[in-house]
Amino acid sequence: MAAERIHTETPGAGSQADSALRVLENLAELEPELRGAAIFSGTGPDRRLLAVTVDDDRWAEAAVELADAVIGAAVEEFDSAHVALDAGEAFVVSEAGLTLVATTGRFVLASLTGFDMRMCLRDLAGSHGPAREDS
Amino acid sequence: MLKPHRVLIDKFNSYTDEAAAFMRRRRHQRREYVRIRHRSGSGLDLPPDGVEAAKVTAAARRLLDLR
Repeated sequence: MAAERIHTETPGAGSQADSALRVLENLAELEPELRGAAIFSGTGPDRRLLAVTVDDDRWAEAAVELADAVIGAAVEEFDSAHVALDAGEAFVVSEAGLTLVATTGRFVLASLTGFDMRMCLRDLAGSHGPAREDS
Repeated sequence: MLKPHRVLIDKFNSYTDEAAAFMRRRRHQRREYVRIRHRSGSGLDLPPDGVEAAKVTAAARRLLDLR
């Protein structure tokens, strides 16, 4: 996936949004099948968009909708989700108060994609500190 | 004795047959699913005909349709 159309909500040198943008660029390089991805800080109603690869506001809204749906479906504290459909695959990974939502083509290696997404969030949390402490 | 080009063609055919069979098996085994992992390490496959799975797959489908 080309990562040429990455937007950040709060651009600025050294900001968490800039780091999120860099992290998504890295993820796009790691995952050739990546279609779109977005990183949010916080959870629930206070969730804030940091960066997104798709130039369509509806995509980020749909990503929030998916994150809310999988977190709501979890019976314990949510960690990650993998949704496989005919049209492609969707992933949601939460780590250190950050949430990464991504879509890919079909037949990607789910465990590898999830691992790469988690490493991206750890990288982002490591450069700016966790958005919240995980219990 | 087989001519060399026949050997190559047969070899190539065997590879394509294998690839086609692999894709057929994969398509057949392919099912939509929603898999959730908890921080405790436990996992949960949502029942495909459940309300929660329908909600999640609808959200995922919308996301995939947009890109």
